[in-house]
Amino acid sequence: MNKPVEKRTIDMQVIGDWVEPGSRVLDLGCGKGELLDYLAQTKQVSGVGVDLDFSRITVCVRRGVNAYQGDMTSFMRSFPERHFDRVICSRTVHELNDPTGVILEALRVGRSLTVGFVNHGFWKNRLDALVRGRKVRNAVYPTEWFESRPANPVTIADFRDFCGKKGIRIARFVHLHGDWKRPCHALPNLLAGYALYDLTR
Amino acid sequence: MYGPAMTDDVEVPPATGSQPRHLNPDDVGIAQPRDFVHGHTFAFKSGQTLPCFTLRYETYGTLNITRDNAVLICHALSGDHHCAGWHSPGDRKPGWWNNLIGPGKAVDTRRFFVICANVLGGCQGSTGPSSLDPSTGKPYGIAFPFVTISDIVRSQKILLDHLGISELHAVIGGSMGGMTAIQFSIEYPALVRRVLAMASTARESAQAIAFNEVGRQAIMQDPAWNRGDYPRDGGPRVGLAIARMMAHITYVSDASMDRKFGRLKTPGRGAAAPDAFDVPFEVESYLRYQGQSFINRFDANSYLTITRALDHFDLAQAYGSLEHAFAPVQAETLVVGFASDWLFPPDQNREIALALLRTGKRASYAELATDLGHDSFLLESEELYTLVRAFLEREEVVFDFTI
Repeated sequence: MNKPVEKRTIDMQVIGDWVEPGSRVLDLGCGKGELLDYLAQTKQVSGVGVDLDFSRITVCVRRGVNAYQGDMTSFMRSFPERHFDRVICSRTVHELNDPTGVILEALRVGRSLTVGFVNHGFWKNRLDALVRGRKVRNAVYPTEWFESRPANPVTIADFRDFCGKKGIRIARFVHLHGDWKRPCHALPNLLAGYALYDLTR
Repeated sequence: MYGPAMTDDVEVPPATGSQPRHLNPDDVGIAQPRDFVHGHTFAFKSGQTLPCFTLRYETYGTLNITRDNAVLICHALSGDHHCAGWHSPGDRKPGWWNNLIGPGKAVDTRRFFVICANVLGGCQGSTGPSSLDPSTGKPYGIAFPFVTISDIVRSQKILLDHLGISELHAVIGGSMGGMTAIQFSIEYPALVRRVLAMASTARESAQAIAFNEVGRQAIMQDPAWNRGDYPRDGGPRVGLAIARMMAHITYVSDASMDRKFGRLKTPGRGAAAPDAFDVPFEVESYLRYQGQSFINRFDANSYLTITRALDHFDLAQAYGSLEHAFAPVQAETLVVGFASDWLFPPDQNREIALALLRTGKRASYAELATDLGHDSFLLESEELYTLVRAFLEREEVVFDFTI
């Protein structure tokens, strides 16, 4: 298994391929601003990130990444429709209190929404739950339940079902194998470790 | 987390050994105030004019050869030009932002040329209501022109021109100083690279105006105010002290006051005191002390003038909308709010950053979870210092993302 840090950069590469040069990008759950920094350097985007943590905002400021400390839904509510060319929600969606609200709001303020998430349906996760009968723990889910933030794990099948129910158009997607590098074409809900979806209204 | 102090208690460690505290190598040392005299007519936004004006200011550090390392500090209502260092070895306190500004500090005077001027309308050496009107030979009093934040900005721009500064690395201020910093980036977009506004607002709420009005009424209802006509050593001392006492409560928080004073009573007073309205509680004697020390350094007419400037500051109204106001801004702006600030609360700070972002400007918002209230921007916090340093000292490094 690759280290999570390397996986992060692969996530960035795929998203970077989808982002139009010079576009206006909002990163929900921007962390320390790595992705926006990368997109500013490689795609000359004008970006802003939202995060809850003061020290992470400080790192963004040091990088020269615009960052806003606060709640992502109320942030988006202060912007007009289609203010952003693209909203990105990378490895954040499973931690949202109200995923539907956030995703629909993101599709209002953004022309498109990129969601990247770990596929909880990946066979190793299933096997782990089946054999050990414990909370899944591996490189992607490194913490014990009592050290973890509340999470709402999602599978590729769950996500596609959600898009269908809400009438959200899937413009394109990429499923990656457990190495998060090779594209996964067959049985993605079982064999893909990571999924990236590009959504529009 | 930040110790029991409130932010107005500038912690001054006692001199240790042979090292007098004004020679502390982390401080800028003895600061020398200077007076800049503008010998030409200055027109206020109101249309009123002054035939000339003086701004008292201090500078720390050295202007570099390329003249691009200047940082302008903007003070709040009761502040002044003395924001760092000491005036004399006998001073009880250093400049009001000495914890932030100095060699190796967050605003590093080894790197930046720091300027701070007392505002027009003030009373610490700059021309204000207590200055003599050359046409009458008497203090201006309430005849002093109506001052706005824009007037403060434009007068300081004249000072910057005099100093040969055509680029500001940053303009930094808290509370009214934050308003001034933002106004600077609107009026002189090409001049300002960065704006750092803390505990600020694009317009005060009705509650903040209401508090200022109670302060003004305390002054104006004091018979000694005499419609602003009073001798230099007299005036509405009672009214001004009460205004300060009340305002001081709005600068701190319930939690910080309670932590510092609780229900502590002054030793030797309390229940046995002969006069039940004597000061049994320490918070009472503290506020009285704040009021008394304020009247020795502040002019009542200046207080009226500057609180008016604060109350009338309204970017949305002045420019049609915040987005219109921010349209010319070229600076990168960092807004810092404080969770416990109930005078200029976090939401008002957020709105500045949000409106800048809506206008397509570079802006960030950070919020510190202190419980010290509005004056939190003055607090000693490593987190805040790290953020300020990150904003001011960022190098334009190109990171290598090739994988």
